[in-house]
Amino acid sequence: MTVIECRGLTKVYGGAKALNNLSCNIEENKITGLIGRNGAGKTTLLKIIAGFLKETSGELTVFSENPFNNLLVSANVIFIHDQMNLPTSLNLKEILETAASFYENWDHDLANRLLEYFSLNPLQHHNGLSKGMKSTFNVIFGLAARVPLTLFDEPTSGMDAAVRKDFYRALLKDYLAHPRTIIISSHHLNEIEDLLEDILLMKDGKELLHLPIADLKEWGIGLQGKTAIVDEWTQNKELIYTKSVGFDQSYVVVRNDFSESEWQKARIAGLELTPVTSSDLCVYLTSKTKGGIDDVFNKG
Amino acid sequence: MSLTKVSMVDVVKKQYLYKLKAYSQVFMSLIFIQLLAVLFSMNGVGGLGSSEGSFQIEIKYFSAVMVVAFTMLWGFITAIIITTKAYRNDDFVFVTNRASSNLSNIVFLLTASIIGGITSMLSTYLIKVIVYYLISDVSLKSTSVMSAPNEFFLGSFSTFLYIFLFCALGYLIGTLVQINKVFAVLIPAAFFGGLIFDGLRGNEGVIAKGFNFFFMEPSLTLFLIKVIVTAGLLISFAFALSNRMEVRS
Repeated sequence: MTVIECRGLTKVYGGAKALNNLSCNIEENKITGLIGRNGAGKTTLLKIIAGFLKETSGELTVFSENPFNNLLVSANVIFIHDQMNLPTSLNLKEILETAASFYENWDHDLANRLLEYFSLNPLQHHNGLSKGMKSTFNVIFGLAARVPLTLFDEPTSGMDAAVRKDFYRALLKDYLAHPRTIIISSHHLNEIEDLLEDILLMKDGKELLHLPIADLKEWGIGLQGKTAIVDEWTQNKELIYTKSVGFDQSYVVVRNDFSESEWQKARIAGLELTPVTSSDLCVYLTSKTKGGIDDVFNKG
Repeated sequence: MSLTKVSMVDVVKKQYLYKLKAYSQVFMSLIFIQLLAVLFSMNGVGGLGSSEGSFQIEIKYFSAVMVVAFTMLWGFITAIIITTKAYRNDDFVFVTNRASSNLSNIVFLLTASIIGGITSMLSTYLIKVIVYYLISDVSLKSTSVMSAPNEFFLGSFSTFLYIFLFCALGYLIGTLVQINKVFAVLIPAAFFGGLIFDGLRGNEGVIAKGFNFFFMEPSLTLFLIKVIVTAGLLISFAFALSNRMEVRS
């Protein structure tokens, strides 16, 4: 079953297009990673899914309904982000109790145990927490709500490495016990890639790639060798990334559509073929220029 | 995971219970503002004096009218406060849509107005007690707590209506300000400008007429209808305006 369907979705913010004709489908019970650079439109997309914002044009349905002003969608979707407005007059314990009254599948026991594990004082107020602890509380909130569609927007911002690791593990464990659709947007693809099934790569408000994470790992390939040879091999290919490494040596990333025999020939020609990690590939794919930050300094 | 079905009534009820708890600060400010009004009332809310030769007569009236006025102002401000981003966006952490959020706000304001109305009437007794002990030569209208229960309930009820009317007005103004900050300047400017303009012309203007329309109504039934219709219009307008409002932090 498709949980989210989106066709030609556009959202305009004061003249700038945050989302530009985006189309995608998110399947049920999958963990999807939403990856993109700052300003790619990740948060905007999640906010429209959660019913916070209204699309400018196009169509988006969540559980086959338009999420804006929709109680059914609100009851079945939770949106966790780092600017969550939690009631300032209630302490953490009271916030969790209130949430328990709203969300039918709320696991109060889990919430309390997580609160204790991450040593959050239940009598403290949310605005008195540090940035990392706020994020920790927010993800506890998101996990315990146990709704069919969980949206995490940069859930780990401010968390230290140990807490991040714990969170990923908690998420995976709870997902295995109670499979549900989860979307995580993050800058740390290398940290979450083991968690993900699918990846949705966004650039300039558009969908760039949407494929299983396993395919992404083999999507690109890096060639390194003498510049002339590299150029010869990549003549008719779209260069995803180029970098000169030392004298007369270059490193080029292209799409991996080489056949087995071509691989062999390339090796014999003196090229070094290396796999490209998904994290690097995403950076290359979403960068504005082919050479990255080096281009800025190479003008002279 | 199967979808959870929810009903509007159920969500509004849960939101209302949540708001009673989360907005409890509102009632603290009610206590504070009423005590302040009681203090101001100690100087008398009206009076007259005359003197002839070596005689001097001074008459002062004490009543809860100051408390009622302060409570109306409190209702107005409370309604504006709960339309602000900090409060409005809180709802979106839990299950909500714009209609249920507005409805639970109105039920909350109704509750606050009822409490405000009853406590304003009760403050009469506090004023009586203080005046009796602190000010000499007083004539108390009545010393029993419930000498005229009808009067008490009627007073509470009409005070409640006045407060709620101000809540509805505040709710609309608060919503307008949320839509465009320009209203935060425009509305006070129009109000005070209107007052000054009326004063300069020396005759009754819109604001004075509007005031008389509600405050000079002798019939309770007519007054009730006026309040219900006006508050209904103000609130519906606020609902319609906020129904397309986005959640931005």
